[in-house]
Amino acid sequence: MNRTLNPEIIRIESLCKSFHHGRIVALDNVSLTIPEGQVTVIIGPSGSGKSTMLRCINHLEVPDSGTITVDGIVLESAQDINKVRTEVGMVFQQFNLFPHLTVLDNLLLAQRIVRKRSKAEAQSVAEQLLRKVGIPEKAKAYPGQLSGGQQQRVAIARALAMQPKIMLFDEPTSALDPEMIKEVLDVMLELAQEGITMVAVSHEMGFARNAANRIIFMDQARIIEDTTPQELFESPREERTRQFLSKILH
Amino acid sequence: MAYADYDNGNEPLSNGWRDWRFMLILAGAALILVSLALPFFSQRISSAKVSFSDGSTITSHYSTLVQGLNLTMSKSPVDAKLDAVDAILTPVSHRRSGYGWMIAILQRPSALRRHLSLVLCLMVPLLAAAAGIGLTIRSQRTPVGLARGWVPAAINIGWGALLGLFLAWCHHFDFSFTLRAQYASGFAPGVGLWGAALGAALIFAGAFSFRRALHENVLDWWALVFVVALTIWLLIRFKPFPYVEIWKFVEDGIVVTLRIVTTSFGLILLVSLLGGLGRISRSRVIYFISSLYVELIRGIPLLVQLLFIWYALPQMFDVLGGLLMSLSPNLQAQGQWLIDLRLSPFTAAVFGLTFCYGAYGSEIFRAGISSIHRGQMEAARSLGMNYFQSMRHVILPQAVRVILPPIGNEFVALLKDSSLVSVLAVSDLTRRGREYMARTFLSFDTWIMVALCYLVLTLFSSRAVEFIESKTRFER
Repeated sequence: MNRTLNPEIIRIESLCKSFHHGRIVALDNVSLTIPEGQVTVIIGPSGSGKSTMLRCINHLEVPDSGTITVDGIVLESAQDINKVRTEVGMVFQQFNLFPHLTVLDNLLLAQRIVRKRSKAEAQSVAEQLLRKVGIPEKAKAYPGQLSGGQQQRVAIARALAMQPKIMLFDEPTSALDPEMIKEVLDVMLELAQEGITMVAVSHEMGFARNAANRIIFMDQARIIEDTTPQELFESPREERTRQFLSKILH
Repeated sequence: MAYADYDNGNEPLSNGWRDWRFMLILAGAALILVSLALPFFSQRISSAKVSFSDGSTITSHYSTLVQGLNLTMSKSPVDAKLDAVDAILTPVSHRRSGYGWMIAILQRPSALRRHLSLVLCLMVPLLAAAAGIGLTIRSQRTPVGLARGWVPAAINIGWGALLGLFLAWCHHFDFSFTLRAQYASGFAPGVGLWGAALGAALIFAGAFSFRRALHENVLDWWALVFVVALTIWLLIRFKPFPYVEIWKFVEDGIVVTLRIVTTSFGLILLVSLLGGLGRISRSRVIYFISSLYVELIRGIPLLVQLLFIWYALPQMFDVLGGLLMSLSPNLQAQGQWLIDLRLSPFTAAVFGLTFCYGAYGSEIFRAGISSIHRGQMEAARSLGMNYFQSMRHVILPQAVRVILPPIGNEFVALLKDSSLVSVLAVSDLTRRGREYMARTFLSFDTWIMVALCYLVLTLFSSRAVEFIESKTRFER
């Protein structure tokens, strides 16, 4: 790639979000910029606001205040939000595949009606991606017939089929059986090496260590630490980070 | 022997070709095929002359005999008593066999229209023979030595063939046992009929002996639809007075009922979808309007709503029109239009049913749509689809499977409740029944007929809904 990378492909400015009429604060004045081509992993205890921040990036959660700019587009009008969503792929904890469609149709649907691709074109993209995630033989199967790991790989392929600039992963391995985690992480690792912009909420420290350029630790609706994996794992600055790491690294 | 012994999947269920039960079935099939070529009926009634005590007579020919003979009885001259009924018999030597009758009738379209039921009755034994042979042949190709799927068919068509043969026999004296008693010798069944009946009985017995190897019940609930429909037909044939007349009277009522139900059901689906989406809308105004609609309409009886639309709405139009005209001289035409506006009974009925059932349907759609996990909507939206695309391609196709059973129930309930529109001067099935009863005071016969007609329609719809449901299941 010769073109210069956008140093601010995602820009979050003083983002606030609370639930239940302000009784639960999920994000407290959070600001963050993410440059193109980087892999960012967000860690933190549950309820620290990491998933909420991720979901705000493609407006699945509507922020209370603050602005989000994705690839130069400010998320305000419905058209802008839809435009941003086509450029931002998202992978969910619960896979959220469409159970009434075959694996292939799951990959075709959005390509056909949002990207308006021809059937042949969409199909070739889909088949190529299924090969990439390692399950080309399951194209005609229904999601209910697949294992959790296979479903999550299909979900990744479905998001990639839109050829997004950014991929968001919301705890992609948390709902998986331990033996299936690796096959999903392998796909994510491969993507990371290809240079796609990735933001992942994850508790997989191995993945964070190997793939991430940057790691963000969140707690109580704020960003506590924002640094490289090496520094975070070896010499965390904050006491809170040390506490957290001591609990999850055993 | 325990039931489980039949169920382990590997135990042979028959001794192959030499099994006595297959022999029984094959013998029955052969007997039917041969017997159909033997003499069945040698004579039939071609016409009948009815004489009355005042000397007048009425002659009816075969084609109208059922209706003619019995209707002339009911419409006998005033103060005259029925003296005698003379039937004129015609021998039918050249087409006396079962095949002969079928060929003779099938050759002429005009005859086919009149004698379709006779052909059908004669065909059931043939079907039974086919089912028996099919069962035997298919069974040899299965590992357990029995084609389970064919057994219920052979059992049911077996007894159906016996019934068909009996009804075929009834045809040639036109279902009138009075006539048969007069000419008993002329209507003795031929040897072919007895042979075919014996064959059908053998097939039934042979197939029935396999019933313990079955997983499913022998009788499907579809049989009930058939039985009720057959009951209507038998009533008409065996007791034409008054059932032919009742049938002819309420026939168009069935068409009206079906037209009202299908038209309003289409509209109900539309209203329910909109109402259901309104009930889950994030917009407060839309939510409030749709909730108000649902709550108000569900609290008022359908009969009261229909009466309101039919009697009170025109008055409201008059008042509104007058108000419009008094407001501004420019609105004269519009006001007059409103005053002149009158709903036709059909429109009022469809409108009323749609309005009421749309409210119930809205709740069904709301429940169905909200039963789909919200992750589905999020996944669809995160791929860049807008709200309507997500609804259309992701949520509704899944919700339909949840909605279908209760909405099918709604259809059946609508079919029954459509009888209430008879208060709006709509000539539906119920109103036609009431009109007939008011004319003849035959309350029992009329309402039995009307009830059976509704029963066929509702039973058929329930089965159809069940069938569609079974076709739309998918693995989660």
